[in-house]
Amino acid sequence: MKSLASTAAAPPANAVERGTPLASGIKTHLNRHFDLVVGAITLIAFFLAWQFARPLGIPGLSAVEPPTRVVAASWDLLSSATFWTACYKSALRILAGFALAQIIGVPIGLMMATNRMAFHTLFPITEILRPIPPVAWIPVAIIFWPTREMSTVFIVFLGAFWIVLLNTIGGASTIEESYKRAALSLGSSRWHLFRYIVLPATMPSIVTGMVVGMGISWEMVVAAEMIASDTGLGYLLWQSFEINAGAQVIVCMLAIGIAGFVSSALISRVGRLLTPWQGRR
Amino acid sequence: MSRGALSFRAVRKVYDPERKAVLALDGIDLDIAPGEFCAIVGPSGCGKTTLLNAVAGFETVTAGTIQLDGRTLATPGESAAPGEDRIVVFQHGALFPWRSVMWNITCGPVMQGRMSAREANEHGMRLLARVGLKGCEDKYPNDLSGGQKRRVEIVRALVNDPSVLLLDEPFRALDALTKSVMQEYLLELLVQFPKTVFFITHDLEEAIFLGDKVVVFTSRPGRIKEVVTVDIPKPRSHEVLTSARFLELKAALSQVVHTEARRAFEAGEKEMAR
Repeated sequence: MKSLASTAAAPPANAVERGTPLASGIKTHLNRHFDLVVGAITLIAFFLAWQFARPLGIPGLSAVEPPTRVVAASWDLLSSATFWTACYKSALRILAGFALAQIIGVPIGLMMATNRMAFHTLFPITEILRPIPPVAWIPVAIIFWPTREMSTVFIVFLGAFWIVLLNTIGGASTIEESYKRAALSLGSSRWHLFRYIVLPATMPSIVTGMVVGMGISWEMVVAAEMIASDTGLGYLLWQSFEINAGAQVIVCMLAIGIAGFVSSALISRVGRLLTPWQGRR
Repeated sequence: MSRGALSFRAVRKVYDPERKAVLALDGIDLDIAPGEFCAIVGPSGCGKTTLLNAVAGFETVTAGTIQLDGRTLATPGESAAPGEDRIVVFQHGALFPWRSVMWNITCGPVMQGRMSAREANEHGMRLLARVGLKGCEDKYPNDLSGGQKRRVEIVRALVNDPSVLLLDEPFRALDALTKSVMQEYLLELLVQFPKTVFFITHDLEEAIFLGDKVVVFTSRPGRIKEVVTVDIPKPRSHEVLTSARFLELKAALSQVVHTEARRAFEAGEKEMAR
């Protein structure tokens, strides 16, 4: 976009000579920030269409509460304890399910990638279970786990688990042979090889698994809370829908979006700390 | 120098995946004296790297024996595990990108318990300064240029004080100028830290410039076609590249190497056509 903006900025240089200083100044400015201007116009148009969807009779959009109502509703919701408790509950479930997925998925993945016996033992069962969408597990989870809380965490865990497992196996089984050979000829024991070669070499894939897994975790927590829980953002969203609080539904959606964005940003940060050598030449 | 006598007796290697026996090496008899720089030249696929891998402990042999200072490294059914007495510098480099330059250099002696981390660091610093890389110790390998990486890798090998250095086309990926500088660095380092060197290359000029002995392999199956002693005195600088003796050796060897390269090429073409 930058280069587009700079190439687009070339013609106004002539315009400066031709037009009035103020008009040409504005023109230059607009050209320089072409990308921002276009983005802002689209956003404004979208919000205007949304706001006036009902009087304009825009199909679909007219059924949704307009942004002014959403802002008013968000004010009410944001100052209520219900909302923050819901956020807290969902975040805790994400944390628990996601952490469990790492704690269980990474070691199993490493084991499957480095030990043939482990791979052949576990591969068939993972291949059978993996294609089942985590949401399809909700009824079984409710029956299986003694509390609804555990069922919800289990669904979040499942959402992140497979992607963590696959990324770890993928990363650990594609380590360049020369790294292992170099380590062996430098006198590595099996433990050294694992600690100093296999683990760090797999870390970038583990981090990728974490980032993707975090996104899926939010999808799962919302779905699980809608069905199997009586707290959390997913539950609040569904409740708002049931009591016909349209504006509140939108606020919950936005809150989930923001929470997902923030947690992904946090995970990326953690990822950079775990793999400081990445992104170099 | 008393360490580093490498001997190959009737070494043979057959690869047999999918029951298609491929003879990679046949009847290799070779002696490399302690401190000798032996350059192996031959066309692609002639088994040079297979032989190096067998010395390193990465591969077995089908027949024959490889010994280092009288200790059997490889014989059918027996293969010494890779170890710090035979350090390899790989064609594409194998510095661990997730660790600092200093960690890369010192991990060997520290893991082996031969040096404390502090001793290894001091030793590593001296060697890094020696190859003009002072100040690079805390960088990650991927922050370095190709030539710098190769230097670090050679230093990493030397810190372990191996009996034999196994260099598998270490300068192949470098540009011509960096390559010539690296060759001089290597020779200078070997004056200070004399080692037996088993050096694989495709580059005849490089082999003659560096080697005390140049061994030419035939195309597959790899056999020794010719062994030539390079009688140009060391230390050598790049001026020898234009000396009469160098050119004479090059002329004598290039015909042999070219014939084998051509044979390997034609064999490859035939294989492709099949």
